[in-house]
Amino acid sequence: MKHYLDVYKEFISTNFSVSLSFRTSFTLLVLMDIFFYLSTLLTIEFIFQHISSLGPWNKEQLMFFISFMLVIDNLHMVILSESFWVLSHQIKTGDIDFILLKPIHSIFAIFFRYPRPSSILNTFLTLGVLFFYGSKLSLDVMSWILLPFLVLMSFSLLAILEIIISTSMFWMQEGLGINFLRMQMQQLSRWPDYIYSKMARKALLISFPILLVGSAPVHFLLDHSEWEYLIGVLLANVIFFIVMVTLWKMALIRYESASS
Amino acid sequence: MIKTSLLTKNFQSYKKAPGISGSIKSLFKREYLTKTAVDQFTLEVTKGEIIGLLGPNGAGKTTLMKMFTGIIVPSSGEISIAGHVPSQREKSFRKKIALVMGQKSQLWWDIPAMDSFHLLQKFYEIDKKAFENRLEEMGQLLGVMDLLHIHVRKLSLGERMKLELMASLLHSPEVIFLDEPTIGLDLIAQENIRKFIFEYHKKNNISIILTSHYMADVHALCKRLILIHGGQKAFDGKLSTFEQILGKDKSVSFSFRNEVNDHRVFEQFNPTWSENKTQVDLLIPESELRNFSAQVLRDFPVIDFSTDKMPIEKVMKTLMKNPQILNENL
Repeated sequence: MKHYLDVYKEFISTNFSVSLSFRTSFTLLVLMDIFFYLSTLLTIEFIFQHISSLGPWNKEQLMFFISFMLVIDNLHMVILSESFWVLSHQIKTGDIDFILLKPIHSIFAIFFRYPRPSSILNTFLTLGVLFFYGSKLSLDVMSWILLPFLVLMSFSLLAILEIIISTSMFWMQEGLGINFLRMQMQQLSRWPDYIYSKMARKALLISFPILLVGSAPVHFLLDHSEWEYLIGVLLANVIFFIVMVTLWKMALIRYESASS
Repeated sequence: MIKTSLLTKNFQSYKKAPGISGSIKSLFKREYLTKTAVDQFTLEVTKGEIIGLLGPNGAGKTTLMKMFTGIIVPSSGEISIAGHVPSQREKSFRKKIALVMGQKSQLWWDIPAMDSFHLLQKFYEIDKKAFENRLEEMGQLLGVMDLLHIHVRKLSLGERMKLELMASLLHSPEVIFLDEPTIGLDLIAQENIRKFIFEYHKKNNISIILTSHYMADVHALCKRLILIHGGQKAFDGKLSTFEQILGKDKSVSFSFRNEVNDHRVFEQFNPTWSENKTQVDLLIPESELRNFSAQVLRDFPVIDFSTDKMPIEKVMKTLMKNPQILNENL
């Protein structure tokens, strides 16, 4: 574990060095993130000026869900996002070769290699929004204690599912379509599970459980009797982690590198 | 240290007709082709040995290097490197090897090399003291101490290559794979890199496999040479044996004061004339060298004359054009 933490510290350090070399780009990325977070929250505010509830949740509950997803999104931006976008290019050009030689798990070396320093600044903003809406709902002590754990579990499930999708790039080479598919899946998780039709909801909770990322933990935090959601998130993490590792091994066997 | 047996790698690709119609057709129906890049390749390299792996473009050299390092998995056959099977990608294996590719970089472009070195230190779990010692030692030997804090994108190709070598050797690997480490470098830079590899090998007694298109690299560093052609091993032996593969002919060059019009006397020795016909390169059997040279010196206006054993470039060039010679001579 120390090995991984040491390497990750250097990933952050080197990416800071790169990001701060391009100051305007760095500032723009910070502003764009803030714009995205504010526009998401304002959209919900606007919707609730015309309705009093969306499905079983009122405005505060939905805002709590949205802010929970903003935290997940921010973690995704900070830790993973950049790496997904460069993977296809790395596979096509063979740039991944040197990464595969490093004495560390290749999933870690590939998907955690490009943390995005500009998004770290906004982590405080998204956490602040989550605590704000959490306190508006008067969450109980257990919910506050479980909140960080559930954020991490949700983030890890999202990461696992996206890595599974991205692994197909080893077969398809071209990653643009895969990245759009990945983004669409992420988009689906940004709305509560109950807005989807019965069939779609079932598929997205069980077969490819992207809806467990946000909806499941928030359901449980709002109502502890819905414990099946909690179990669902935990089980999905374990099962899909195994699927991810198995597929990854197959992908590396399939990998052909590029001619030099 | 390195052992392979009947190593084979097949790649699949598909044929595509040019233009939009070709692209649309290939969307629905593809004609797949299987190309054997490496074909039943068997090799044994002992500890401390440095061998040159030669062959034309597309012969399978880089594919072999990638199988040796575990980047790609062989279609069939066996490999063992320092007691490990590369395709299993064990952590301990990856700490024992290093790969340097002249056409690819592992240094981050937008930051100084020192930042990349720190990252490599963490990757390979190199003790701080050992890391500093190795940086100092290699930095001095390569003369790059003042380049460590400059952004990589600002460096020349030769400077970058030196830093690439440092990056690959920081963790003291036991086996090094050098894939065209001097490609694109000027003569001085090539010589510096060769000198460094030579010194490093002498000091550390590691095994090295080197591929290069520059025969000077092979001459300076390797006693043993392996020729790969069409994915198959075509020659494996001493450099001196390779040089005599076309017989004990001498390479002789004559320069003349004036243009030579009568070429008949030279025809029997495979002449290569300069554009202005004032210089000719010949391949003369050792037994005839003395008499023929005396005849030319007597009958033609010779201003310069040199002889050499068959240079490796000439052997390679001839073999690349006529690979069947290998079968006839071995």
